[in-house]
Amino acid sequence: MSFARTRIKGLVFCDSRTAFHGLTLYTPVEGSSALMIDLIGERVHQWKLPHEAADTARLLPNGNLLYAGKSKNAALPDLECTGGLLQELNPAGDVVWEYEDQYLHHAPFRMKNGNTLVMKWIEVPGSTASKVKGGEAGTEHEGRMWGDVIQEIKRDGRVIWEWIAHEHMKPEEFHRCALCPRDTWTHGNSCKELPNGDILVSFAKINTVAIIEKQSGKILWHWGTGGELAHQHAPSYLPNGNILIYDNGYHPQGLALNFSRVVEVDWKKGEMVWSYEGPEGGMLKMLFFSSMLSNCQRLPNGNTLVCEGMTGRIFEVSSFQTLVWEYVNAFPGKETVSSPSESRSCTVYGAYRYGYDYPGLSAMKL
Amino acid sequence: MSQVSIAKSAYKGVTYYDKKKAANGYTLFSTYNYDVWLIDMEGYIVNHWRMPYSPGSHQWLLPTGNMLHAGMIKSHEEMGLPVEMTAIGGVLVEVDWDSNLTWKAMAPYSNHDIRPMNNGHVMYHSYNPEGILPDEVAKKMKGGLPGTEFEGQVWGDMVHELDRDGKVVWEWKACEHLDPVKDMSCMLEKRTLWPYVNALWICKDGNVLMSLRAANEAIKVDYKTGKIISRHGKGKIFHQHDARELDNGNIMILDNGNHRPTYGPNYSRVIELDPKTDEIVWEYKADFPSDFYTPVCAGAERMPNGNTVICDSWTGRIFEVTYEGELVWEYVSPFIGYQVGMATTMMWRAHRYLPDYPGLKGKDLDPGRFPRENRMFGPESFMKEFVPSVF
Repeated sequence: MSFARTRIKGLVFCDSRTAFHGLTLYTPVEGSSALMIDLIGERVHQWKLPHEAADTARLLPNGNLLYAGKSKNAALPDLECTGGLLQELNPAGDVVWEYEDQYLHHAPFRMKNGNTLVMKWIEVPGSTASKVKGGEAGTEHEGRMWGDVIQEIKRDGRVIWEWIAHEHMKPEEFHRCALCPRDTWTHGNSCKELPNGDILVSFAKINTVAIIEKQSGKILWHWGTGGELAHQHAPSYLPNGNILIYDNGYHPQGLALNFSRVVEVDWKKGEMVWSYEGPEGGMLKMLFFSSMLSNCQRLPNGNTLVCEGMTGRIFEVSSFQTLVWEYVNAFPGKETVSSPSESRSCTVYGAYRYGYDYPGLSAMKL
Repeated sequence: MSQVSIAKSAYKGVTYYDKKKAANGYTLFSTYNYDVWLIDMEGYIVNHWRMPYSPGSHQWLLPTGNMLHAGMIKSHEEMGLPVEMTAIGGVLVEVDWDSNLTWKAMAPYSNHDIRPMNNGHVMYHSYNPEGILPDEVAKKMKGGLPGTEFEGQVWGDMVHELDRDGKVVWEWKACEHLDPVKDMSCMLEKRTLWPYVNALWICKDGNVLMSLRAANEAIKVDYKTGKIISRHGKGKIFHQHDARELDNGNIMILDNGNHRPTYGPNYSRVIELDPKTDEIVWEYKADFPSDFYTPVCAGAERMPNGNTVICDSWTGRIFEVTYEGELVWEYVSPFIGYQVGMATTMMWRAHRYLPDYPGLKGKDLDPGRFPRENRMFGPESFMKEFVPSVF
């Protein structure tokens, strides 16, 4: 319980002179809603999701919302961010497209060609699983270890491209978190298409962000495995060619403290070129941490939008580490609480800011 | 001034107070600077000590009315030691109500915890070069990140008892009594230190209860022989602090939950263990568990009325809950200190003293003695209702 730290909700701070103007879409973990707010925290649109969200929803250029929902038919409901169902909703909330697979997990990505990139759980063969080090023996999921498969699916549901992690990754090469349970191995939590068609993916339990060559399935680049990252989320490709990552900082190696940070990596040189960790001198940098969930987004004006998932806090910082906007999810899913000191979850999967010139916003006709 | 988060840092001072349910008294703490504060339940400063040394760990108000304080002479950097050995102190200081020095003893390499004893002695622990593990023990030691020893060596903890002349009258070396396999280190900790003692408590039977951070357990050590009588909490506690024996004989521990082997979410909790069965008989966790998370430091005290006063060090917060887990008091420190290369509002530990505590007898507790401090850091200077800023 923290009255002081969790009591402030809604808009906290807005410097409209430096913030990137637009609407912010975010997906609370509880409450089956996706919400869109303006820069002063006013709700301008809300989608009532037919299913509880399994991950962050995104607004497509066509004005529809694409999200992963939790399906009753999911095969592994206790694995984190298992969904089982993808839905595309128009602004009125009608389902205009749907795809179901009981092994779907985390968020889908709509590709340029109209297909959808998805991630599913797939069992890691015993011979490979036994070589995976790290994690307490016996913490497998009913004796099995689950890995990831990334697929490109057409609108009619046909799988036209597939990449199975354990066919391209060796347990010896991808050092796994020593503390996490052995129910999953790589534990993918994000997949995106790059402008040249290659795939950018984040594997949380091996602390690795990687670029997969679509044609060959080869891993062209990977980073973070050596401990540079700690259970990261949401890598994205920037116009300057760099990769932006939300480094959660959970289970950090050799560090007894927990900090989250956002890092920008020049992947061709293999070096970190920018990071947001809080202002110079480390003033109260321990105020930035989310063990799970979360995402980050580089905005056209050079600012970065950050969603600190576990606290429901979405904020925007300049490249000079200054805070220019801060908002805390004010629409938690739970019913009203019985006493002022009772806290409730306002956890958010992630958030995206859309500028007023984004086609999806005009398509929504708000 | 640039902020990391306004939402999380805007409220200061006492933010919640239920007069009827709280264990009303005075709270002692300091925040890694030269000031030690005693506040009342409304957040008024009733005493302020100005110390010659910044704290290496914490302070206790003794039954005599004096204050025992562990001070830092040189930082770990000045001593050429790695950051894991932060909070190296070096000196124990006792001052009276007006900050006049009444006792001082050197305590080389003293680390986090100090424990005043009934006979006037002080027990403290250290990362001491004398405690360095012999090579054959270090080789057997399991856990920790491979290759992260400090200059190839593992520093083991030592515990010392000083008498009023500053002489060491009792000493204990961890590497002579712990099992390098059974008491293995956390897999993600560095192998610089082992087992990383971070709390000392003298039990009713005179034996010593210690909390071992890297080994993720609490142990009871026989004062006469140094042997380990019992181990507690293994598998239940992770990077815990402040293991103490309660009046009912149970052991209360602040389970920080850092490096807990779950995929998430993070949370801290206070647990009460039955020492005979190691079963958890009471637990406090936040309603939404990750709202209370302090990866380091922290502690908890049980009050006579059943409440528990919890020091959430990481967020510079001290709060109190009833036995049923209901919040009855919360205080957020407005003071800023410096630790581990960061400006921070952290405090190592806080202690609540009830009005009938012998150490408060005859003491002037009028906040009017500190008008300037109370103007700046007392309840009147902090906002009661937050209003967002829009530019």
